[in-house]
Amino acid sequence: MSTTKRPMSPYMLGPYYKFQITSLLSILNRLTGVFMSVVSAPLLLCWLIALASGEEAYTGLSAFLGSVLGILIIAASVFSFSFHLMGGIRHLIWDAGWMLENEQVRLSGWVAIIGSVLLTLVVLGAGL
Amino acid sequence: MNMQNPLARVRGTGSSGEGSHHWRSQRYSALILLLLTVWILWLGVSLAGADYATARSAMSSPFNAGMTIMLAGTVFYHTQLGLQVVIEDYVHIATLEFALLLIVRFACLVAFLISAIAALKLALGA
Repeated sequence: MSTTKRPMSPYMLGPYYKFQITSLLSILNRLTGVFMSVVSAPLLLCWLIALASGEEAYTGLSAFLGSVLGILIIAASVFSFSFHLMGGIRHLIWDAGWMLENEQVRLSGWVAIIGSVLLTLVVLGAGL
Repeated sequence: MNMQNPLARVRGTGSSGEGSHHWRSQRYSALILLLLTVWILWLGVSLAGADYATARSAMSSPFNAGMTIMLAGTVFYHTQLGLQVVIEDYVHIATLEFALLLIVRFACLVAFLISAIAALKLALGA
């Protein structure tokens, strides 16, 4: 619509700003959400459909999930789930009006990173 | 329960023209998903690598069937709300944005319906 090139604010990640954990976790929360929307949720849907369709479909899907690619997708999904869960809890805490000081936000960011890696390892360890 | 004041509801304030409805819906669905997390982790771990008969018998219990339908409804609602925000933020061609928003809504609704029917079929043993 508009032909005028207005100046834009530089993107939050990259060479323009000093690295901040807040912006990294913000975009990661989105990316993990989009990944689950595009990959993980459809995969769960396929699992349900396969199970409801019969033994042949279920066995076929199980074989794929047991392959290297399948295990990679499952691992990425479990990590996305864990990270989005921790990020979501962080957002809900902020929405309640808590932990909004800079130091607290950085601290909760590190807790979210470490917590999501630990949860991923625990879930994969228990499931595989 | 409505947490908007009556004036805000009438005006539909905010840049989206729908007030805080979208924002609140995203939070409420997140809270429900937070509660369902315990169940999905338990089910996922217990059914990892399970054979057909085991998976089938687990998913035939009324509890798991109900939770599956609840989870599918909340997940695909939350998915639709989240993808909507991403599309609104990054897609600046009006026609494409509108088309993508419609596709996301349609896909999420269909995904929920298929999940619910599959869960019911497993529970009722058809």
